[in-house]
Amino acid sequence: MNQQRRLRPTRWCLPVAAAVLSSFVACVEHAAAADPAFGEYLSSECVTCHRSDGQDKGIPPIVGWPADQFVAVLQSYKTKDRTNPVMQTIAGRLSDDEMAALAAYYATLKPAN
Amino acid sequence: MKAHRRDFLKSAAAASGVVALGAPAALGQAKPRVVVIGGGPGGATAAKYIARDSKGAVEVILVEPAKQFVTCFHSNLYLGGFKSMQEITHSYDALASKYGVQLAHQAAAAIDRDKKQVRLADGVTIGYDRLVVSPGIDLKYDSVPGWGKAHEDTMPHAWKAGPQTVLLKARLDAVPDGGVIVMIAPPNPYRCPPGPYERVSMMAHALKKAGKTKAKIVVIDPKKTFSKQGLFQEGWERHYPGMVEWMAPDIHSGLKAVDPASNTVETGFETYKHCALVNVIPAQTAGKIALDAGLADASGFCPIDPSNMRSAMDANIHVLGDASIAGDMPKSAFSANSQAKVAALMIRGELVKSPTFPARYSNTCWSLIDTDDTVKVGGRYEAKDGKIAAVETFVSKTGETPQLRKETQAENMGWYSGITADMFG
Repeated sequence: MNQQRRLRPTRWCLPVAAAVLSSFVACVEHAAAADPAFGEYLSSECVTCHRSDGQDKGIPPIVGWPADQFVAVLQSYKTKDRTNPVMQTIAGRLSDDEMAALAAYYATLKPAN
Repeated sequence: MKAHRRDFLKSAAAASGVVALGAPAALGQAKPRVVVIGGGPGGATAAKYIARDSKGAVEVILVEPAKQFVTCFHSNLYLGGFKSMQEITHSYDALASKYGVQLAHQAAAAIDRDKKQVRLADGVTIGYDRLVVSPGIDLKYDSVPGWGKAHEDTMPHAWKAGPQTVLLKARLDAVPDGGVIVMIAPPNPYRCPPGPYERVSMMAHALKKAGKTKAKIVVIDPKKTFSKQGLFQEGWERHYPGMVEWMAPDIHSGLKAVDPASNTVETGFETYKHCALVNVIPAQTAGKIALDAGLADASGFCPIDPSNMRSAMDANIHVLGDASIAGDMPKSAFSANSQAKVAALMIRGELVKSPTFPARYSNTCWSLIDTDDTVKVGGRYEAKDGKIAAVETFVSKTGETPQLRKETQAENMGWYSGITADMFG
């Protein structure tokens, strides 16, 4: 009985359940968007300039960056707050999902040495 | 290397067997085979990406006669004394050892599109399921009156990197103070649109560094305008005052002829006799193998499907890089590398059903004008209205700060390191 009572929906419980559900959906979407495998595919455009071994030969390495920072930097190129036109054009066509996937992929990498 | 060579011979023999039986893909061949003709930015990148990302599910054979690849990009920096030949020379070894690409160090003699075979110079034929044709450009030796292949040692072109590049540098270094250099610039379309003008800059830099500021570089151009013109002309004025004279067709009134025997260049406006150096950059076409295989149209270059780089002439063939008609994308190493990744994705998608995504292309071309003074042009591109269309473009501006130009040069060097690692590493 106690158990049933606990599980019985209450007035306040319904909105909470809805919120939990929507956050679960959001989570699933986020997980799909931040798929490192999709990020690896997208990264083929990055590695022409940013060496995948993380060496700095004149263009900043981007391997191993924290995902939040990675996304924030791309967003700042997309909004043109950062000025490099090469990165502005690259970031300009990346959706939020694509940025998240790229960030997830690069966060998994470590510099070669 | 020897092991890979043996592997290749084995596969070539197997291929010959397959050839004798007929269509390779239909006869229980262990795995689909992609043959790539040309080991430059298009071909090397495509070979690597198909082999690497298919994880052994696709056999990849790269047909390239050179054992080492000298990049045409940054060969102007060698002329200017900023890089050594060694720094622009790269090995194919890692493509074989890391990714399992089989290297056939031979020229491709012919493509039999009906039989889906490539015949190598030694007569061996290799069957393919998909063929990537990335042969770069060939020179139109009959496009400059008085000049031809027999004269390329006297009046070098150096538009394919290697011995010609070394020759041009030696000739440049021998130009006396007060000597006249004439460059015959090419008509559109040609490999590396800013290339002739970066070369002018690097020649002027080398002359100035050697104290030969009375030497002069005259550019006879068939075009009315050229890539990054305002930026180059501003730079020439600033760094090399009085040393560079660029002439549009309405000024020189047309190139009449060159005479390699006397190093003379005759235009409608003036005759330049006993030049210290004449650099002839002739008109260009897609590499001969693409023309011979009927992959080009009347323009001399190869039409492609902009959504995947597939040849418009043959569904089993993809054409990449300088040989292709890539819409708004320039003929550049960056473009070829970008196109190769699209083609690799689509080819794997067809052969092993891996996921594909809509094509997206990008390009940037950096040009060094003088030490730490570099400009760039570039953009991103998509398949649109039946061609590869520019979606957003950018170009450096005149009057930029020295600091920004220096940062752009650091980027230029970084890009070279990145793209060569992406192609060969």
